[in-house]
Amino acid sequence: MEETEIIKLAQKGDRKALAQIVKKYEQTIYNFSFKICRDRNKAEHIMQETFFSMVKSLHQFDGNSKLSTWLYRIVSNHCLMLARKMKSRPFVSLEDDEGLFEDKHAADWSSLPYKSTENKELKSILDDSISKLSPEYRMIFLLRDVEGLSTEETAQATELSVPAVKSRLHRARAFLRNELNKSFQK
Amino acid sequence: MSEDKVNCKDVMHHVCETLGEDLNSDRCVAIKKHLEECSGCKSYFETIEITIDYYRKYNEKMPEDAHEKLMKFLDLDDCE
Repeated sequence: MEETEIIKLAQKGDRKALAQIVKKYEQTIYNFSFKICRDRNKAEHIMQETFFSMVKSLHQFDGNSKLSTWLYRIVSNHCLMLARKMKSRPFVSLEDDEGLFEDKHAADWSSLPYKSTENKELKSILDDSISKLSPEYRMIFLLRDVEGLSTEETAQATELSVPAVKSRLHRARAFLRNELNKSFQK
Repeated sequence: MSEDKVNCKDVMHHVCETLGEDLNSDRCVAIKKHLEECSGCKSYFETIEITIDYYRKYNEKMPEDAHEKLMKFLDLDDCE
């Protein structure tokens, strides 16, 4: 059965159809939540809250976007709400991007020892680097570059304008790349 | 930035801004030309791509009992 038909059934209250949708997207939503908050318990909690919101408001889904984009919007909101509740260390400011694009950052990574992301040291570098980004920037980078949404879909999911998405995205990319570069040079 | 004269900083900025976008404007052609000729910018471009690729491949599997807990939480555990 096509996803649109399953959604229509779920919107009419078919619980089996609803369960099918949950099953199809649970891993994606868990993985995305984990990438934002870098904590398994929080990721599971956000996943539960996301699907709870979905069940409550699926009747409002109008089919103008993909269901996945709509779910990304819900999960992004839950991630941001949780991040704002948590007291955390200050994040780096990327409002002034002058330092992000300097020639000194040019480097050759062709002989990097990290061939697999299963490597614990690399995982730790990736975790540390992205943790310095504020959740707002993290979200844009993950939706656009990691989850593969288009710029327009990322704008829909985050309720930002396309230029705002582009601006945050290129700063997040440059920042993460520079952080990794610093770690790799150590 | 003019269309045919770009420096490395322009290229770095542009690479970050437009990676994954359609690169067919005159400005982008100039950037591509610069990338072919400048090893520093070429490395920068590649390292941005590697950064994204690392984060793309770093995934986390749901814990084994998470699905069951989720279905109970949603009161859908009788629907499977």
